[in-house]
Amino acid sequence: MDSGSHLIVNDIEIMFGGQAGDGSLTTGDLIAGVFKRMGLEVYTYKDFPSRIRGGHTNYVIRAGRHPNYGMADFVDGLVAFDLEAVEAHIEEMRPGGFVIFDNTSETVPDHVKRPDVTWYEIPLAKIAKEDLGLELVRNTISLGVLGALIGMDPQIMRTDVTGVYKRKGDKVVDINMRAIQAGEDYVKAHFAEWPSGYALEAARDGERLLMMGNDAIGYASLVAGCRFIAGYPITPATDILEWMAKYGPKYGAVTIQAEDELAAITMTLGASFTGVRAMTATSGPGQALMTEAIGLAGVLEIPVVVVECARTGPSTGMPTKTEQSNLNHLVFSGHGEIPKIVISPGTVEDSFYLTALAFNLAEKYQMPVFVLTEQALCQSKATLPVLDLSRVKIDRGKLQTDPVVFGEYKRFAFTEDGVSPRVIPGVEGGMHLAPGSEHNELGVITENPKNRARMMEKRMGKMVSAKPDLPAPLVHGDKNARIAVIGYGANRGPIVEAQTRLAAAGTATKFLEMRTLWPFPEEEVRAFIEETDHVFVVENNFTGQLERLVRYVVGPLERMHSVLKYNGRPFRPIEVIEPIERFAAVRGLAGV
Amino acid sequence: MSTVMSPKDFATATPSWWCPGCGDFGVLSALKQAMAELGKTPKNVAFISGIGCSGKISGYLHSYAFHGVHGRALPVAQAVKLANRNLTVIAAGGDGDGYAIGAGHFLHAVRRNADITYIVMDNQTYGLTKGQSSPTSMTGYITGTSPQGNPDAPINGLAVALAAGGSFLARGFSAHPKLLVDLIKQAVEHKGFSLVEVMSPCVTYNKINTYAWFKENVAYVTENEHYDPTDKQQAFEALSREDKIPLGIIYREQRPTLETLMHLAEMPTVNAVLDPQAPELVALQEAYR
Ligand SMILES: Cc1ncc(C[n+]2csc(CCOP(=O)(O)OP(=O)(O)O)c2C)c(N)n1
Ligand code: SF4
Ligand SMILES: [Mg+2]
Repeated sequence: MDSGSHLIVNDIEIMFGGQAGDGSLTTGDLIAGVFKRMGLEVYTYKDFPSRIRGGHTNYVIRAGRHPNYGMADFVDGLVAFDLEAVEAHIEEMRPGGFVIFDNTSETVPDHVKRPDVTWYEIPLAKIAKEDLGLELVRNTISLGVLGALIGMDPQIMRTDVTGVYKRKGDKVVDINMRAIQAGEDYVKAHFAEWPSGYALEAARDGERLLMMGNDAIGYASLVAGCRFIAGYPITPATDILEWMAKYGPKYGAVTIQAEDELAAITMTLGASFTGVRAMTATSGPGQALMTEAIGLAGVLEIPVVVVECARTGPSTGMPTKTEQSNLNHLVFSGHGEIPKIVISPGTVEDSFYLTALAFNLAEKYQMPVFVLTEQALCQSKATLPVLDLSRVKIDRGKLQTDPVVFGEYKRFAFTEDGVSPRVIPGVEGGMHLAPGSEHNELGVITENPKNRARMMEKRMGKMVSAKPDLPAPLVHGDKNARIAVIGYGANRGPIVEAQTRLAAAGTATKFLEMRTLWPFPEEEVRAFIEETDHVFVVENNFTGQLERLVRYVVGPLERMHSVLKYNGRPFRPIEVIEPIERFAAVRGLAGV
Repeated sequence: MSTVMSPKDFATATPSWWCPGCGDFGVLSALKQAMAELGKTPKNVAFISGIGCSGKISGYLHSYAFHGVHGRALPVAQAVKLANRNLTVIAAGGDGDGYAIGAGHFLHAVRRNADITYIVMDNQTYGLTKGQSSPTSMTGYITGTSPQGNPDAPINGLAVALAAGGSFLARGFSAHPKLLVDLIKQAVEHKGFSLVEVMSPCVTYNKINTYAWFKENVAYVTENEHYDPTDKQQAFEALSREDKIPLGIIYREQRPTLETLMHLAEMPTVNAVLDPQAPELVALQEAYR
């Protein structure tokens, strides 16, 4: 066995693999928490099957000294509860990595047993059952084993495990404590001369949080004044509905589980029409059902925030896996034309601030605002600085709650910026009809061609008015680089990491992280790609939806390349590096 | 009731699009009358309608009116109530709107029991799309889409609602204005989801279920002096009658409203104070330390 010649400190990716429902979620969360409290930066990725029990599942926890918003190239340590987990992931192991394998009832066949990784074969289930009397605690034993092998802080680990099982009583806590000890003892007894090659050096846990993307979205909504959410359960968006159901009532927020997404979106419209900041959260299939009513929001100029947590489509697709294949849908779906905004965060922290902003955008410009995120971000946890709530300002735009003069007041008045003063039920004098049919300034239905043309110009013009308020793209890397990368959402992590490594190898790149996808930030994208030799558009889909949007705006570009991944899993940095290097090699780029 | 209101206070300046003689006129005037008699004020009435000839009604009632998409009046109306429980919330639409494309919402609105009123204007056809068969059309009804006669059995909306836990179920006839006003008033006063189905003839497309036909075929449940609208068994029996279409208050019961079961505060949701820097909101982050 070759455990690698040098020690890797504070840079590790652990994968927990087993069968769904066997507790790897809890254990994975525990590890993430311990890493965080040891002062490390953490990112987690859940790769769960779309079923409750059984089926291979894995949970990736990555920790390092610097923030990483994505997975590494390789898995460093695999904790495999069955052979299936080994077989599924042995190819992803870093040479010099290690496997902790529960050999209670299975053995690893020789052809699977890579010689360049260290094997710790331990009868975890057997120890759990025979020594501790409870098979369930084999996860906790593995925690003790892992902790001893890589140097997780044993005290923090015990405190956190206690925290998790406290609710279940002293007995449960006690057996878990003994399980950790059993794991540690086993390592001492059997592997003292057999180092993993990895070590962690605890730093102080600064003022940081460990939060999942969807939690940040729920939290931001409540902070930003959302007091109504309607939704229909769908992975990976349900967390948001559940978050609001749990924390909202104290603040007077209504959470309603609708009978379907047609109801969820029309309920959202109803609440917003009545003056409550309202949202819904869904994923692709639900988004498809919402399309007609979003058109209604457009023509009625009702503010509405729709969070789309994208997953692998089409149809049921792979419900628990990631994909960026819904951009076209958000931008182009709908009969008729309405103004709308699509924004997308690249980190958990940004998920918070962009969601909070979405409510202002929706109300200021009285139109649907989509917060587009994806499974690899919204169901991932990451460390982030404590959120600064003073950055959240509530701007309700032209909401009009004082009495108006009936007959003079026009709900759909033509104005300079296209936005009309908006009354809500209960306001004296503001009675009007809000019709999905074309209407005049008063809301009276009319098919008059002049009025129609002006109303179209008014509504669509709001997208221009909104531009100054839209989240600007971020440029990462060397602003003068001639190799450009464009991407958004969860790909921020792997792209930024790829940039760092390319830079270390002598290739300068710049990366435009788009946070507003619609209205398309034409000037910014044009300016960004102007002085470049190559433009790589990195996205998780088959057809290159973002790349097509870029082409659509800037015209065909010979030096533009699509970097695509569509197997349901997020990019690893090497998958961004390789195409860039390959291209560079073919074209003989300097510095590669 | 502080102010004396008249039905005119609920009139809009918009001329109606309905055909002369359309049953929907009767529904509209009964609604205005009921609103006036109940002392409602237009600014506190939210009136949500579906799509169809019937759906046009929201344009003719002076109020905060919402004319949305086909079949979705009920989700909008329920949310309006949850957003501001001080409003009087009324939804209205056709038989197609409520029992075909909106059937799912109908069932769930009935069982949720939000304190709103739903008026189904039943003309047993699709008026606005020019006379196709609807979920309440009689079997054999001949239309453009069913030239050999409608093969489907009609839905009995009230019976469905009764089975689904409806807490106030009534049926009226647009040509019996006085009784209709009374039904609507009681429905609006009812605490919970109230359904008023109104037989509202389409004079242009439905040549079978005409005013004359209805006059022959309707019977008020009160004709039976022992009829007890709080008796579910009797209600089922009345709704199962094959000889006559029962009118009147078919069933009523008091059960907790959605607002109560959701533990909504007395203060309307819309009045919640929004303060992003509220200390308890900041403190929520502690769970993620
Ligand atoms: C999604 C959708 N499908 C179809 C239509 C066309 N449409 C408009 S009204 C209507 C049926 C109306 O029938 P009903 O609800 O009984 O109302 P009525 O006109 O009879 O009062 C249909 C099918 C539509 N507007 N929207
Ligand atoms: S078509 Fe029928 S339902 Fe429509 S307005 Fe005319 S009479 Fe009324
Ligand atoms: Mg009809």
